[in-house]
Amino acid sequence: MLKKRIIFALLYSDGYFHLSRNFRLQKVGNLDWLIHNFGFGETCHFIDELMCILVKENPSKEDKISFLKDIEKLRKKIFVPITIGGGISDREDVKNYFLNGADKILVNSNIYNDDLMKMIEEEWGKQSLSIMIDCAKNEHEMDYKIMINCGKKFKLNLKEFIKIYFSKLPYGEIIINSIDNDGNGSGLDLEILKIFPDTIKSPILLMGGAGKPEHIFLGLNEKKISGVVTANLFNFLGSGLEIARKQCLNKGINLANFQKLAKL
Amino acid sequence: MKKEVGIVDIGYGNIGSVYNAVEFLGFKPSLEKKSENLKRYSHLILPGVGSFAKNSEIIQHNGWFEPLKDFINSGSYIFGICIGMQMMFEGGTEGGNNKGLGIFSGSCEKFKTDLIIPHIGFNTVEHKKTRIWNDIPNNSSFYFVHSYRIENTNEDIDYCHTVYGEKFISFIEKGNVFGSQFHPEKSHNLGLKLLQNFLNFK
Repeated sequence: MLKKRIIFALLYSDGYFHLSRNFRLQKVGNLDWLIHNFGFGETCHFIDELMCILVKENPSKEDKISFLKDIEKLRKKIFVPITIGGGISDREDVKNYFLNGADKILVNSNIYNDDLMKMIEEEWGKQSLSIMIDCAKNEHEMDYKIMINCGKKFKLNLKEFIKIYFSKLPYGEIIINSIDNDGNGSGLDLEILKIFPDTIKSPILLMGGAGKPEHIFLGLNEKKISGVVTANLFNFLGSGLEIARKQCLNKGINLANFQKLAKL
Repeated sequence: MKKEVGIVDIGYGNIGSVYNAVEFLGFKPSLEKKSENLKRYSHLILPGVGSFAKNSEIIQHNGWFEPLKDFINSGSYIFGICIGMQMMFEGGTEGGNNKGLGIFSGSCEKFKTDLIIPHIGFNTVEHKKTRIWNDIPNNSSFYFVHSYRIENTNEDIDYCHTVYGEKFISFIEKGNVFGSQFHPEKSHNLGLKLLQNFLNFK
């Protein structure tokens, strides 16, 4: 039976990994820090996938190249699926991201570019195309605003997005990221799921707000949810993800039970 | 024959992780871009990323078809991953009707299920306890990402199965030919173990 997923996301900009809170970034450390101080290699034994996102607004080609170079070093000893995204705007980016380690690519601001999306679907297949929408509550209208360009620019309302784009967009999975809950550790925004029709046949992943194992459990326990994404480097520091995984398994969530081998 | 590990590089998609996995296991793989060089390898990995159509086009038109078939017929070890496994069969319908290598009968068709497609994530494989599965518990989880799978086979192969709405073929084995629909290079330690068992074949 297909397992649900716990995904760890790294947010990268200008040589550093970041914490994000309501889309305001705080530098925490470079690649060396991540590997040696954070214990990243060990963390990866307890996640189903890794996501690496370049969180710089309108990154240059050089920004993307140095991002990919760091990811390349990072993934040398990491044998989990990797989704890479942020700043993808043309075919060259798509090709570079795949050639530099992406099993799937993540497109966010440019999912409205029909030619780009069609090209990715035709050449790489939509199973390797993840789309992400960054959503901010719009209480007044019982809706959400979809923001692009790292949360800086309003694109359209979520209900409108679902009506106009959702059925015709090519994608393998969708990640719904909550700008309001981002980095605040108060739990995932499960309410947003109600806006999505039950008929969706693609995996839905929730991101933003997971601060403790219980939050991951509550997300995965939702029928509509295939996976939970957390980018919180500190809340799940050390054995945090191992504990979260065990708790979810104990509570009956259908997760893979990874085994560490004594020797390879 | 001396052990030489080659990874077929048709210039498409992410083969870096396969390379890293083989290197991590202590081998020195070569990324092979020239089909005429296949003969030099004792163990070949055929990774597959992208659509069946694109892989088929490159294999058919860029001179890989005959050399790959010759390699397989020579009896040297080959391991196809994902589309690399699908390519061992006659054809596929992802992106139109396209030809595979035709080593085995059967074709690659879209899942016929009401479940979410693509099938993405870790799923269990019921294996046949053959030597490539040494030290790997039955029903261990491996990473899948695909919308198409093999059907209509009637070959005498050792198939392993996975369930996703239906029982489908997730691993094949016949003589020197191996293939996984899942990605061992993305499946933590047990995926590496599977590759290691393959690479250790003499």
